Amino acid sequence: MILSSMRDVVFGYGDRTVIQNLSLDIHTGQFIAISGPNGAAKSTLLKLMLGLTKPWSGTIEMNRVSEDGSPITVGYVPQLVASFNAGFPSKVIELVRSGRYHRLGLFKRFAASDHEAVKQSLMEVGMWKYRNHKIGELSGGQKQRVCIARALAQEPEALILDEPTTGLDEASRKELYELLDRYVKQRGKTVIMVTHALEEIDPYLDRVVHLERKEDTGWRCSVTNSCSVPFGQEA
Amino acid sequence: MAMLGYEFMQRAFWAGGLIGVIAPILGVYLMLRRQVLMADTLSHVSLAGVALGSFLHLNPTISGFVVAIIGALVIEQLRRVYRTYTEVPVAIIMTSGLAVAVVLMSVNPHLNKSFSSYLFGSIVAVSDTQLALIAIVAALGLVFFVALRRPLYNFAFDEETAAISGTRVSLLSFSFAVFTGMTVAASMPIVGVLLVSALIVLPASIALRIAPGFIAAMGVAVITGWVGIFSGLTASYYLNSPPGGTIALILLGFLLIAVFIQKLLQLRNRRSVQINKPKVRGVINHD
Repeated sequence: MILSSMRDVVFGYGDRTVIQNLSLDIHTGQFIAISGPNGAAKSTLLKLMLGLTKPWSGTIEMNRVSEDGSPITVGYVPQLVASFNAGFPSKVIELVRSGRYHRLGLFKRFAASDHEAVKQSLMEVGMWKYRNHKIGELSGGQKQRVCIARALAQEPEALILDEPTTGLDEASRKELYELLDRYVKQRGKTVIMVTHALEEIDPYLDRVVHLERKEDTGWRCSVTNSCSVPFGQEA
Repeated sequence: MAMLGYEFMQRAFWAGGLIGVIAPILGVYLMLRRQVLMADTLSHVSLAGVALGSFLHLNPTISGFVVAIIGALVIEQLRRVYRTYTEVPVAIIMTSGLAVAVVLMSVNPHLNKSFSSYLFGSIVAVSDTQLALIAIVAALGLVFFVALRRPLYNFAFDEETAAISGTRVSLLSFSFAVFTGMTVAASMPIVGVLLVSALIVLPASIALRIAPGFIAAMGVAVITGWVGIFSGLTASYYLNSPPGGTIALILLGFLLIAVFIQKLLQLRNRRSVQINKPKVRGVINHD
């Protein structure tokens, strides 16, 4: 099943085109990496896919309903440096609990299953023992783990992460890859992740979307595929 | 207490108590969204509304209230235009508000006297209309903050992730701006235009410094706001000082005390870590 479909997408900043005629299908149930050099529009591609930014031209469709009619929820972990408010006056557990809010609506109380999902997600990233610490007291890597736990607590059908390994040591990165791999292989979810560490993550991946800057024709991105799933065309 | 025998003091305490619930909570969200100057700006816009109301022979309280809401909506819209420089719309609207107020005041010099009560706040300035307005704003504010506490939390943490998880960020952002305008306009009679942001920002600054969590931050902000307002009103009655300035100075004192105590605690923690640290015995190699 197709989660996201992009056709002939053109996008840029100011008068500079950074994505030129990009067509790309993202399938569910896969672990997909988006890679490429700095300035190759990796984060931009995620934002376009999520509907946070509108393309100049072309179409982007995000499938919000699964084949069985249930809604497809999306969890998003943005780049840490871009989003994290270090002074946010919250305990770790308060922040991770907020990942459940969209499921509960405005007034529904937390049930035992919600508490369990929060605990489970914190334990999966090794932050349960820090649950009563203030966010601002944590290191960069620990904050990143908390943000990942918050996204996991949503129990989303698709998890989209923008360079989530920033600030994580080697052992933590491996733990995260294994966690995401289980999320895809055991639970049948979709993971899309922007990363520079392709060598590390390669054994877990189903697909790589590689974006390249074409210097000769200006800021343009093309896509190359490292696996056999047909998904798009080169720009 | 003798001062509570006076009806105007009762009104001032009621107004202060009601503002003391909503302004500090609003302040916490404004600080987290890095929009603290919005309160100050809207107070100047509201002053322009008061001047306009007097000029057009309308109720200045109502006109100030309406113009503050319009100003908040314009700031929110401009914030979307100047995404990279979000402080620019605040500066534009503050200057515009003040310019309109000054020009309208010069057109009708008789207005100047009553303007001093708007600029600096006055206990006797709280009329029945203003008290009713404050009560309505406080009631709406409580409903707003309690009913929307979950989306507001996600919205304050990060707008992008909030939008992706289904929060209607634009609607929330505009309604938040409207509510900010309402609170600022309703608070003006107590603390005055020049110090209205003190009521919103100072209790929130203290809360963000010392509170252990998000819910606790709201509680600390409200309690600090109440203590500051009630003690400031009492002091201004007995000292015959302007209530706005007195309340602001007391809240500033609280902030300095909070900073001082926090520094002392940090120093004590550092010392206890050093005392408990095992001594490292090294061997110096003279080779």
